[in-house]
Amino acid sequence: MKLSKYPNLVQKEILDNMKYSDLFLLSFVSKNMKNIIKSSQAARFKSISRIVYNMQNTNYRTIYIPLGSSEEVIMKSWDISEMSNNDYFQLKVSGEIINFRSSRHHFPIANFHQSDRESVFESIHNYFLDFFGYTVKYQWIANNYMLYFPQLPSLSLILKFWKAGGDKRYIKKLEHSISSSPIMEHIELTFWESTATLNAESKFYQAESIRIFQDNPTVPVNLGCFQGKRAFFTCNQGRISDLSEFVNRWKSGEAFQNLEHLEIVINHPDYPLNGVLDAIGVKYIDATKIPPTHTLPKVYFECGHKRNTDPIISHTYVVRETDNRVASISIERKTFSFGVWNKTEEEFLAMVK
Amino acid sequence: MSSTEQGTSSAAPAEPTTAPESAAAPEVPESFYYVHGKDKVVHKVSAGALQHSALIHGMISNLGYTEEQAKANPFPFENIDGDILQMVVDWCNQHKGKPTPPEDTNLPKQKEKLFDLVLAVNYLEIKELLTYCCKQVAMMVKGKSPEEIREIWMIPTDAEDEAAEKEAKKRAGKEAAGETAAAAGDAK
Repeated sequence: MKLSKYPNLVQKEILDNMKYSDLFLLSFVSKNMKNIIKSSQAARFKSISRIVYNMQNTNYRTIYIPLGSSEEVIMKSWDISEMSNNDYFQLKVSGEIINFRSSRHHFPIANFHQSDRESVFESIHNYFLDFFGYTVKYQWIANNYMLYFPQLPSLSLILKFWKAGGDKRYIKKLEHSISSSPIMEHIELTFWESTATLNAESKFYQAESIRIFQDNPTVPVNLGCFQGKRAFFTCNQGRISDLSEFVNRWKSGEAFQNLEHLEIVINHPDYPLNGVLDAIGVKYIDATKIPPTHTLPKVYFECGHKRNTDPIISHTYVVRETDNRVASISIERKTFSFGVWNKTEEEFLAMVK
Repeated sequence: MSSTEQGTSSAAPAEPTTAPESAAAPEVPESFYYVHGKDKVVHKVSAGALQHSALIHGMISNLGYTEEQAKANPFPFENIDGDILQMVVDWCNQHKGKPTPPEDTNLPKQKEKLFDLVLAVNYLEIKELLTYCCKQVAMMVKGKSPEEIREIWMIPTDAEDEAAEKEAKKRAGKEAAGETAAAAGDAK
């Protein structure tokens, strides 16, 4: 069977029906083949929302493309010490020779010494940039168990820390890793207990998006320096004064200028969120009218999770004094939601039906 | 399955028997057409089954043949092997008037047969069957190493591609030189 004997449209149909991992391997057969894939699959590659380097597992690392609620693996990687046999093949990936073998699930597994990981991942990433293109978003997910991230072009960093504040060593580790990291796209902290140890200049506050599961009575976590766009908190306790202070600082234009969405869930049965709106001093839209819906795409979401922030449809809002921008505020059960519009109060009210 | 008769020519096709149809008998008598491949074996196929083929459907839609005319003028597909055309006709009959399932497991497993089937189906413009076939061709290399893929699909190496390109350039150069010489001769 000679593939080249098929008309171009048939070749394209065949390639259309191949998994990304198989296209990746096929691209190594010849330069000509790689060009055929790149030109015939250009639209498909352009539609890839992101390629995720999931480095969270200490045993193996996975590179995949999220597809709705599932993910399509392009390749995995293992430490070379775990190779059980010599049944591997070598590929020259952006100038670097890397050993691969096929898994029983039909995707390639790269095998290399951990000491070589920097050059290996650099080669793989460069190959992907050439193959899938620069328009694709590349996300590198690291955690405190596998805290390694390369400094590569077009690669954004997602950091996940568990038990982040329970032990001072974790705080040190977090601070150290953040200080040497590129600007993070998203950071996720679980069981956060301490707020005081992070420097106000920390890159933590420059992350575009943060999600924190915390047990600390201060709500929100010292957000005074936060320069990002999206923030999600889940806390066990909180104080109304903290929430009203947050809103007042936003209203005055003193802080959170870039903030677009904030969500705070307080999992405490006695926390009286009902009193928050009065404490904040919100404005009201006529109850008979329908307010506009505020929702935004999340900076980072896991497979199977919602791509967008929960919609805020609220009759209450506040206005920033410095530029007359509006933020919708809603309180539903345990959730405080704050959605900033790129609209003046007049423009915002014009959207009310 | 459709019936066939060995050795009939396109000019004088022998009487083929009617293929059993899976669909219920329509109220209006169905029209039939005749096709044959390289082996000249004539297949009688209903217009309903032939609708799968955009090429044949386009050919017959304005013909208005009577049964006799259709029988006397089978469509010749000399570029398609008899057994491949038989597979195509069988598939069209099986899927006549039915929604096509997402998978088709009855496609040939042998590489060369599948290769010929893809070419035939592409020529006859049977979209759904082409998709099944292409999926099957894609499956042949699932999880294979680049060298294994090269072997299965007979993909030339970079060196072979370069040599072929050089050869093509050389040939084109010779042809151009030949044309120039001929043109100069004509001018004289």
